[in-house]
Amino acid sequence: MFVIKCPHCFEAREEEEFSYGGEAFVARPTSPETESEESWGDYLFMKRNPKGWHWEMWGHSTGCRKFFVLKRNTANHTTVGAWTLAEARKIYDAEEATA
Amino acid sequence: MLNSTTTNISEFSPVMQSPLHPFGLTSKQEKVNDGKGVWANEIPLLGYISLRGNSQNAAFVNAVNSALNVALPTQACSMSYTAWGSILWLSPDEWLITCKRDQRASLQGALETALADIHSQVVDNSGGYTTVLLKGKNASEVLHHCTVYDLNMLQAGKVVGTTFGKLNFYLHQHEDGYYLVFRRSFADYIWRYLERSALPYGFGIAQLNDGL
Ligand SMILES: [Zn+2]
Repeated sequence: MFVIKCPHCFEAREEEEFSYGGEAFVARPTSPETESEESWGDYLFMKRNPKGWHWEMWGHSTGCRKFFVLKRNTANHTTVGAWTLAEARKIYDAEEATA
Repeated sequence: MLNSTTTNISEFSPVMQSPLHPFGLTSKQEKVNDGKGVWANEIPLLGYISLRGNSQNAAFVNAVNSALNVALPTQACSMSYTAWGSILWLSPDEWLITCKRDQRASLQGALETALADIHSQVVDNSGGYTTVLLKGKNASEVLHHCTVYDLNMLQAGKVVGTTFGKLNFYLHQHEDGYYLVFRRSFADYIWRYLERSALPYGFGIAQLNDGL
């Protein structure tokens, strides 16, 4: 159990109020019809699944029912922060650019 | 297939019943006394209006403010009490307006007129929700059994959406009572959960004068 600060409710809440929404910013192929089965399968199923820092989506299911982005360490549940999708995108892109 | 013995549609007269009607709360209510630690009752058959729109859009906020004659709470988890009921912030673009049932149509009409040209949504949800009022010296203890929310964080003027057992509900506190707002279909579960959680403290059905 850990605590998440919802970027819409601006309050730290129990994990139980939230639901996990998978890895964040997985780019959907722009034309699924012409995508090969292999790359479409990769898009659907091949996630980074790191041990360590992970950008992921969460939904505040019992609260504001909005989705947002959380950067969480999968090994020990520490979190760096939670942002709206638009805010997180900028930080994520900057981080990816230097990675 | 329709049965020929079915009541003729012209004779069909639906009866409005609150979600907690089967518990017969009206006949069990008594005057609040020191003998029991927790008092509750349903505030039945209120009007509920769902309002959606962009709170960053000044035209939307102004239109709502003038239609309701009260400022729309745009701060996260804030709410306001009005002469006719309350406005609960549910999310950055969604509010729940509660009022007396017979005022619902006029409030909804005023909102629809004011928001006619603005991207927004106004929906009558009166059939979808109900409210339970919980009070008494052990009311907080009972709620602690029911929700993961830290009730010390719940000041007046605040509304939170959080868990109730396996479900979710909206919770706010006003004067000496907690107001639990939830979906109609959750009523049975929530009422029984409250009854059982309150067993150690004594559970009574309070007389209701609150018309919130
Ligand atoms: Zn939230």
